[in-house]
Amino acid sequence: MNNPITNIITKWIEDNSRVIDFGCGDGSLLTELRDKKNILGYGIEIDPNGINECLKNNISVIEKDIDDGIDEFVDCNFDVAVMASSIQCLKEPNIALKKILNLSNKCIVTIPNLGYWRCRLALLLGRMPVTPSLPSSWYGTENIHLCTIKDFEDLCKEEDFIIEENMHLNKKRQVSSLAKLMPNLLSCEGVYLLARK
Amino acid sequence: MKTKTTNYHFNSGIKLESGESLSAFDLVVETYGELNADKSNAVLVCHAFSGSHNAAGELNNDGKLGWWDEIVGPGKAIDTNKFFVVSPNNLGSCFGSTGPTSICPQTKEIYGKDFPDISVLDWVNSQEMLLNKLGISSWACVLGGSLGGMQALQWAITYPDKIKRAGIIAAAAKASSQNIALNEVGRESIRKDMNFYEGDYLKKDSFPKSGLKAARMLAHITYLSEDNMNKRFGRKMQDAESKVDESVDYQVENYLQYKGEKFSETFDANTYILMTKAMDGFDPAKEFNNKLEEALKKVKAKLLIIGFKTDWLFPPERGKEIQLAAMRSEISSSYLELDGKQGHDSFLFKSKRYEDNIKAFLSS
Repeated sequence: MNNPITNIITKWIEDNSRVIDFGCGDGSLLTELRDKKNILGYGIEIDPNGINECLKNNISVIEKDIDDGIDEFVDCNFDVAVMASSIQCLKEPNIALKKILNLSNKCIVTIPNLGYWRCRLALLLGRMPVTPSLPSSWYGTENIHLCTIKDFEDLCKEEDFIIEENMHLNKKRQVSSLAKLMPNLLSCEGVYLLARK
Repeated sequence: MKTKTTNYHFNSGIKLESGESLSAFDLVVETYGELNADKSNAVLVCHAFSGSHNAAGELNNDGKLGWWDEIVGPGKAIDTNKFFVVSPNNLGSCFGSTGPTSICPQTKEIYGKDFPDISVLDWVNSQEMLLNKLGISSWACVLGGSLGGMQALQWAITYPDKIKRAGIIAAAAKASSQNIALNEVGRESIRKDMNFYEGDYLKKDSFPKSGLKAARMLAHITYLSEDNMNKRFGRKMQDAESKVDESVDYQVENYLQYKGEKFSETFDANTYILMTKAMDGFDPAKEFNNKLEEALKKVKAKLLIIGFKTDWLFPPERGKEIQLAAMRSEISSSYLELDGKQGHDSFLFKSKRYEDNIKAFLSS
């Protein structure tokens, strides 16, 4: 699998972990983690096509709208929760993150960066930004809580989330040393491994 | 589709959960499709409360199709071109397997009220004997809806090495207080029928038809959704010519009268009581301090749990509870919530998603 985000997540997750993937899509991340890291995975998904692909790929999948709440998973004791490209679609992402870190020791999130220079430029020119991590037009997007890398890291500080690892990606969604230099301006997307204090 | 009906006789008998036993018993079984060379494609389908071994196709050339004909057959969700589907009639039922209408080998009389109580575990144990008789080491999948889903769950718990997958559909890990209450109204109407004779009606050449009919009419309502009933019948009046009874005003009354009447012509009253008691008593967590996750600890099968949004008899939450407990016990398990228009009965009807999901699960 060549998806760089999948590669990063795979590196961060230890062998035999118990993983829950919120918004697991077709289950490809969980499939990769199962095959490479022998994890026990569960995916949460609302899209019927994604769900059916999970079933085909032998991935445990739970049909659920994350906005309806995730309290039921609290005593499931996961090692890692993954929330790749969906945190900004939730009604209350700060509360969701807190809850996720209640049901799991660690949490991996990806954040499309609205502070990316191309987004700033687009707005400067009077247009809504469209980037590889924010691919939809303003009327087609599911994103309702966009933020910049700085905003996100501020939230982590406020909520006492420890940032154990982070990676910053360029517009090709590759790990980039340039993006690492000034992530808020130069990275298109951030990937974070968070833990509770 | 290659269909075969076989009567299997078990002369070793069976010890029942109640402590009683049957010295010998029969199971009548329909099979569809063919067993493959390594015997890895056998699927057990478990019927609900009023079902029979006739899951697919026509049994009597009477135009009446099997209870799961929309799901089981060539190219269907449970594809009989790929799977060898085994569909037994449950012990205690009245369609050919040993039950209250059978002759007791000791007394040479009809069992009637003396037929022992049967539990979901007893069904699963008898189906395991059937598995051995067929010379198969494990089921590729056991699945069923409602009381059939309870059997699939029990299978996963009791025989972890003999089941690869379990499809638990429109079911629950135990009956709710409301479920038991509704069943009790049905049983009461049978018991208080003057022709019931404490269950020995057949010996008196009698039958508690009106009690059984009323029980079924009530139960039938619980299988449908309010919305679907409204759409189908609304407040439409029944034509005078086609009324089954003078007292009928509305179409929905006529429908229930007709359904209840038909049912009471083919079903046995003691079996009705036995089946509802089995459903009420089902609670695999009971012997594990009421912790379902403990009961599921040894499960090796992958579970697929399906609930239907319009089902108010075993609403989706009941299925979700099973999946959550399985997840806490680190059991591979999926939970789906399908639309289904027909209430509890939705598990009987084909829809694109339902078919795709079952196919995907069976192929994984």
